[in-house]
Amino acid sequence: MLVPLLVLPGLWPLWPLFIRRDFTVAADPGKYVLHHLGFTAAVLLAVVLTFSPLHRLWPKSSWTRALQRHRRLVGVTTFVYAALHVTMHFIYEGGFGTFATDWSKPFIAAGVVAFCILAILAATSFNAAVRWLGGKRWKGLHQLVYIAALLVIYHQILARKIFPQQVLWIFGPLALLEVLRIVRARRS
Amino acid sequence: MVRRPNLLAATTCTLSSPPPDMHFHARPDWHLPAKTVTPESRYRERPRARREFLRKLGVGAAGLLASPVLRGATEGFPAQINDAYTADGLKPTSYEAITNYNNFYEFGTGKDDPVHYANQGWQTEPWTIELAGHIRNPGLHDVNALIRQLGGIEERVYRHRCVEAWSMVVPWDGFPLAKLVALADPTAEAKYLKFTTFVDRSAAIGQRSDILDWPYLEGLRLDEATHDLAFIATGIYGKPIPNQNGAPLRLVVPWKYGFKGIKSIVKIEFTATEPRNTWQDMAPHEYGFYANVNPQVSHPRWSQAEERIIGDGFFAGKKPTLMFNGYEAQVAGLYRDLDLRKFY
Repeated sequence: MLVPLLVLPGLWPLWPLFIRRDFTVAADPGKYVLHHLGFTAAVLLAVVLTFSPLHRLWPKSSWTRALQRHRRLVGVTTFVYAALHVTMHFIYEGGFGTFATDWSKPFIAAGVVAFCILAILAATSFNAAVRWLGGKRWKGLHQLVYIAALLVIYHQILARKIFPQQVLWIFGPLALLEVLRIVRARRS
Repeated sequence: MVRRPNLLAATTCTLSSPPPDMHFHARPDWHLPAKTVTPESRYRERPRARREFLRKLGVGAAGLLASPVLRGATEGFPAQINDAYTADGLKPTSYEAITNYNNFYEFGTGKDDPVHYANQGWQTEPWTIELAGHIRNPGLHDVNALIRQLGGIEERVYRHRCVEAWSMVVPWDGFPLAKLVALADPTAEAKYLKFTTFVDRSAAIGQRSDILDWPYLEGLRLDEATHDLAFIATGIYGKPIPNQNGAPLRLVVPWKYGFKGIKSIVKIEFTATEPRNTWQDMAPHEYGFYANVNPQVSHPRWSQAEERIIGDGFFAGKKPTLMFNGYEAQVAGLYRDLDLRKFY
């Protein structure tokens, strides 16, 4: 059930591009696909990060336990969408020509650093990597995901001319859960 | 040379045969060559508000679509673009792309929002515009009467460069802003024009939240406003300008970034001091008063050296952005004494 849910967002652009033939999308299809892939990666990142606090808050629920078991799959899928987003960026920009100058823009730099973090986490997502690093170090390394999330939020806000409301509904629930988790931890 | 039927006579929407007048214009050098006009593969329905207005006048919508002669006052000339100019083969963007890919934050921040939300009962006809400030002829003008008074509309194909680094080529219909300035008759104190867009929170869903400081404001120096290129558009491709593109009157200053082209203008005030403009208020380090297209001055978050051509498909490349959007020969003189890095 989970796999189609993870693959479908990647196929979604086919609908406005080829079936609905949306004029707005057709005006700049590359940009649409680029933004869609980035958007999907951001949503999945926010979603996968809720699994732990949900599990911590409701440890007995079979739902939260099931989600917790699939953390790796969703996390690696997040990286895949981020990688597609980055690939699409280079297709859209027509190569690496402007990358050297784009780097210096905080908007691009934040996205690049966030992507590098996700790449490191995906590369160390195998059981062998956990054994090799040792549980504690592995966990420490994977805490970097929170930095990646903050960078993604920053990257998303800078992508638009005005503050994009979507950032609130993508990352708002996660922020709320994290606050709840901290409050719980303080009490006990 | 292009045949230009005098549609002024058609402003009453009751004409049954084409007017006999023929105007021959020598094309000035800013005219874009446009041999191959993109045909409209699909005729988009005209905005409902205008259709209903015409129906009220006793013209059935069906008859309107069938007869090319019956026209609203703000409807442009036929989309027949002069094919004497074929030098660099710039092709007008398709009508679909021009009217479906819009920034009009009054109707939402998505590019696809305006075409949807601006056509849900928002009335752009009838419409009045106020001329005010340091002028000898202040007052309110009905848009249709105003166009008649200014001598009708003409067609111009302009490059359109958005500050977001994309571009279109648009066949606009309208009149030179200089004609309107002449009508207003500015006094010696008038140095700038301040343009104001409508406020209507019930019709414009974007105005219900304070994403920008409504109403949208823009400004021009008086010498910019009287430059031959400065234009007030009332139509696109010979059709009335759709709501999402800024019906019924919209500023077009092709050597500046698109956000200077304020839409659905309700007031033009002639001022002695430089007016604030909405985007400058919003982010003064990113958007200035002048907003001249300049490939050498980057936006803080992205380069302005190149632009994406809208409507050219998935692998549409980018092309280098031209100084003053290709109108350097015409407008550079306006800014001879200006540091364009400082006054971006």
